[in-house]
Amino acid sequence: MKHPLRALALTCALTLTPACAALHLTAPNPISAAQTNDQRAYAVIESYGALVETATIIMRDPSAPIEVKRAIGRAEAVATPSVQTLEVAFTAYLRARAAYEGASPSDDNAMTRAVNALNAAALALSQAIGRAQAPVAELQSLINAQRGAAR
Amino acid sequence: MSNFLLQLQLLLAALSALLPLLPDTLRARAGEILDVAGKALSLGGALSTGAEELAQKLAAIRAEIEAMAAARHTVTADELDAAMTRVNTASSAFRQALQTAEAATP
Repeated sequence: MKHPLRALALTCALTLTPACAALHLTAPNPISAAQTNDQRAYAVIESYGALVETATIIMRDPSAPIEVKRAIGRAEAVATPSVQTLEVAFTAYLRARAAYEGASPSDDNAMTRAVNALNAAALALSQAIGRAQAPVAELQSLINAQRGAAR
Repeated sequence: MSNFLLQLQLLLAALSALLPLLPDTLRARAGEILDVAGKALSLGGALSTGAEELAQKLAAIRAEIEAMAAARHTVTADELDAAMTRVNTASSAFRQALQTAEAATP
């Protein structure tokens, strides 16, 4: 090819056009809409599901570079276990909340135990949300970077 | 967007059909350029489709969370199970697609 720079410019322009049209400058952020920790955890998990579904589209695209696919694969390998850990904390929180709601108000000891267990589970859930958000954000940034590279 | 991409791809196909009319010296270069343009269009189209789908999905999830917040809804175990089923299904499909991509790489 005698003019690689021209070919590169043409490639950029043609790839940029459809990707730019699809660009949403303010992508919806479900997590910021949540008011409670259980809603926040649910938003993280649901958003992550949508992200992985989009990442799968890139994986199946034969024109996407294999290096990009491998980088997204490494990010998914880190993010999915952290979301599964969040699920464990979430399940424990739901159990503690059910125990609290089922505890008899007349039994002070049982109520104290239920409140303490619920507080501990809520703290663990909050920490699990924080730990899951970083790898999920990493995966999202890689997907966005792949879109940006195409633009 | 898909209509626009289709029109661009048809334009490239029409230009390719004119290649035999070019002098020999230019034909190879023009063919290379059209080939590069075709690949770029294909990648851009796939990415824009993915970006559109992701934005729509995130908007739907945000609407669901906003409705939950407005109703002071507490997430149930069934809702958590459904969300994790989505994650696990997507993760399995993703890893299978990555394996296929690796296998297809020379």
